[in-house]
Amino acid sequence: MEEKKKEKKRKKSGGVIGFVRDFTYGMATHGMARHALKQRSSMEHLFILITMGDMLGIPILPPYYSLRLLPHVVPQITTWKRRMLREKDFMDSMY
Amino acid sequence: MSLADFFIRYPNRRYLMYGGKGGLGKTTFSAATAYYLAKKGKRVLVFSVDPQASLSDIFERDIFGKGNIEIMENLFACEVDADKRIQDYQEEIRQKIISMYGMKKIPEEIESYIKASSAEPAMEESAIFDAVVDIVVKGDFDYYIYDLVPLGHALYYLSMASVYDAWLEKITSLREQMKEYDKAIATMKREEDTEQDEIYNELMYIKDRIGSSSKIMTDTEKTAFFFVLTPEEMTIVDTEKAAQLFAKYNVPLSGYIVNRVINRELLKDNIPTYLRNRIGMQAGALEMIDQTFGSSVLSSVPEFDSEIKGLDVIRNLAEVMFEEKLP
Repeated sequence: MEEKKKEKKRKKSGGVIGFVRDFTYGMATHGMARHALKQRSSMEHLFILITMGDMLGIPILPPYYSLRLLPHVVPQITTWKRRMLREKDFMDSMY
Repeated sequence: MSLADFFIRYPNRRYLMYGGKGGLGKTTFSAATAYYLAKKGKRVLVFSVDPQASLSDIFERDIFGKGNIEIMENLFACEVDADKRIQDYQEEIRQKIISMYGMKKIPEEIESYIKASSAEPAMEESAIFDAVVDIVVKGDFDYYIYDLVPLGHALYYLSMASVYDAWLEKITSLREQMKEYDKAIATMKREEDTEQDEIYNELMYIKDRIGSSSKIMTDTEKTAFFFVLTPEEMTIVDTEKAAQLFAKYNVPLSGYIVNRVINRELLKDNIPTYLRNRIGMQAGALEMIDQTFGSSVLSSVPEFDSEIKGLDVIRNLAEVMFEEKLP
């Protein structure tokens, strides 16, 4: 409910000001945000690698505790595996 | 100092552990100590995490996996079923995944990971030590007597704990860095601040659990660790080695208890050569114990002529152990 209200408010304030704001965002920060997002997802994958490494045969954290983290990373597991097991050196794509 | 004096002098040492090679009498001493303290009016829990636990045998009650069972007034015993605990825990994780994402079924690769985890070598140790934290954290007993799994297990866990600690430190800071990115992205996109990082909270929880489980074994204020040995040269050498290793991990070694000493008075009687020789061998070993451990030997317990089983025999043993009565 709360969020919907906020969204509405944002849409309402659209018009010229909204356009200008979106425009400047696109010009100035969109690239930066995209880069940051990419960086962030690399870190996410690195994190899963160190915690769930035994899925690929690299055990690091005691399994008893990595199970605790498992539920939180379920949605990322598939993309992570795909990325890690790609033939090209994954370190290349990391940074 | 005698064993009885020890408990008078250090009333804060609430976590008691008997360590030593298998079959030397750790469980019997745990039971006897529990009996002694319970008789003194303290609430005592003696517990074991060994899958082949023998508390059930010594108290002649089936207590395996049944929680805290009252043996007599003030004396409770508990045998943790580690396998069952692991299974329950895995089920809990499955349920969590299902409810978090509204799934009907766990995805296959996740399921196989959960299944494989129980075969990992460190799984059982971790589960056991986590169970110990659960037992001890409740804190409603005056004394906790931990009938320890064989020494190797404990040492392995202690060394793991220090490695994991350093490692958790690193991933926690990686997680913090990720959080910084989240914040930056949110500001750039002019969004509301990001939500709580659940993983970070889990990491903090794990850190706390590993920390408190290794602390139970290394707390110099509250823990007392006793070594059990017998008058045999090999056992003495092994015990000395183990004691050095434990000291390295700051386990508060509090003393040694010698078990199975054959009464030397027997030499006056007409006894078979076999027994005579054994007494001779023990005399040499006892001298060696005296030289090696000296005044750290808190009690010396004679060989009993019957198996230690049932409360009556435990009472006899406790009397000998703490009051130096002859059996």
